[in-house]
Amino acid sequence: MRPHSSLKQEFLKEWIKGLQRCSFPKKSILERKKAIKLSADIAMASARNGTTCWSRALISSAAKDGSDNNHLVKQILGPESDRPAVENKAPARQASVCKKILKRSCRIRRRGRRKCGAAAAPSSIAKHLVKKRRQILRSLIPGGEFMNEICLIEETLDYITSLRVQVDVMRSLATASVRGTE
Amino acid sequence: MELNAGTAGTGSLKTASERDEVAALESLQFTDEIRRLMSAPATDNASSFTALLELPAPQAVQLIHSPDSAKLIAAPPPAPNVDDFKGSFNFPFNSGLIERATRFSLFAGDGNINDNNKSNSPEPTSYNSSANLQKPVKSEPTETESYQPLVSDPTVENRSTKRKDREKVKGSTKKSKTGAKDSSDDAQKLPYVHVRARRGQATDSHSLAERARREKINARMKLLQELVPGCSKISGTALVLDEIINHVQSLQRQVEFLSMRLAAVNPRIDFNLDSVFTAESGSLMDSNFSGMVMPMMLPEVQLNGNRQQYPQQLHFDAFQQPVWGTEEVCNNYITPENSLLSYDSSGNSASLHSNQLKMEL
Repeated sequence: MRPHSSLKQEFLKEWIKGLQRCSFPKKSILERKKAIKLSADIAMASARNGTTCWSRALISSAAKDGSDNNHLVKQILGPESDRPAVENKAPARQASVCKKILKRSCRIRRRGRRKCGAAAAPSSIAKHLVKKRRQILRSLIPGGEFMNEICLIEETLDYITSLRVQVDVMRSLATASVRGTE
Repeated sequence: MELNAGTAGTGSLKTASERDEVAALESLQFTDEIRRLMSAPATDNASSFTALLELPAPQAVQLIHSPDSAKLIAAPPPAPNVDDFKGSFNFPFNSGLIERATRFSLFAGDGNINDNNKSNSPEPTSYNSSANLQKPVKSEPTETESYQPLVSDPTVENRSTKRKDREKVKGSTKKSKTGAKDSSDDAQKLPYVHVRARRGQATDSHSLAERARREKINARMKLLQELVPGCSKISGTALVLDEIINHVQSLQRQVEFLSMRLAAVNPRIDFNLDSVFTAESGSLMDSNFSGMVMPMMLPEVQLNGNRQQYPQQLHFDAFQQPVWGTEEVCNNYITPENSLLSYDSSGNSASLHSNQLKMEL
């Protein structure tokens, strides 16, 4: 796909930078895999330069102080003046607050719905189904809980394209390294 | 040009004389600015959202494209353009455009709203000029961001509809965005969403806003459908969303799987990065490479479209060597290698070149 080639280049550069920066544990496959995936995710998100919500959410969730990946993340992000991560310290807190409020409101809404009883009208059933799926989509996309529906769909679009780029690059890398070691 | 198409479309609703008089004046000064605005983002950011949207463009795509291009416009501050518009259009166009606006807008049989329109003179509804005329009145914080995408529109719209004195006017004088040609102009220039009340539907401002929002969501869903393979045949939002969810999940799983595979294959990532660079950059070249890498390479490279030209590859080797010597950063290693390997068809020559590289480094 033509438009993705420059994105691929960007992603590749960032990823390789990140990979080289993180001190490779060389111990277990799982740790390595975690490091690879993490650096890939962060590279993908920083390729967006903070223009999309999911990228910021991804970086901020990775850089959260309580997470176990923190040291890796710091290594990967460290030398860079990582703007998306730096910007997101405050929004991350706000985001968590918003998250709590959202959850509370969702709970209340759900309680209200249950009190009304199951609606028999097909349109409301359809709406219910769609809402369920929207919820699932929100849980899939990083930072999806804070978006309204329009944002959600836009972010999904963007996220899908970046995921595709990531998969393509990783796949070519994997096949190439296999070829190289043969 | 979308603007001309828009003016042509709306002109059919008014008298010819008015259209000539106003549109001629408008087109003189508008089209240049707007052409500039619209052409600017097209060159930016080829990799991102807008590039995606250069795919086969249904009407809905334009709807998204213009807000995105408007997003990109907003980043370099459009303040000078806004001021230009303000300065040049405020005075000469006020009366002419408002007249046009009054005849223009669809009223559900309300004659008094004409009066309201005329009294609230700085409240035009003609979508071509409302941005400019509304700015001095509204004095909103989003003034300079009047070119902002549709996403900001609901917020501004809500703000406007909350003002009760204007609610009736807004509700009945909104125009629909059923046509993409209208909508692209709207999205480009206006902070407001203009929705026309269709026949037999409520003209309540809330329902209009709802409808506009729904149309936006549907447009974006269409885009998603095109992106996700196999979704275009499915009808029904729930199933489409299902497919999208499956797609996203499968992509995420693929990433996991591939990273596991990479971890297994490369016990020492640092060591193998060189060979991996060369080989993988070659394969990347095979799949698709457009302008990004090419400009960084020398023009001679572009002359050789053939992959089988080995003697010229050697020529490239000699040419590229001084470049390698000077550059320290690893990501620059990729591009000289790409220039070599882009014309490689066999793996042997690739490994040859990579060995040469390693010796150089």
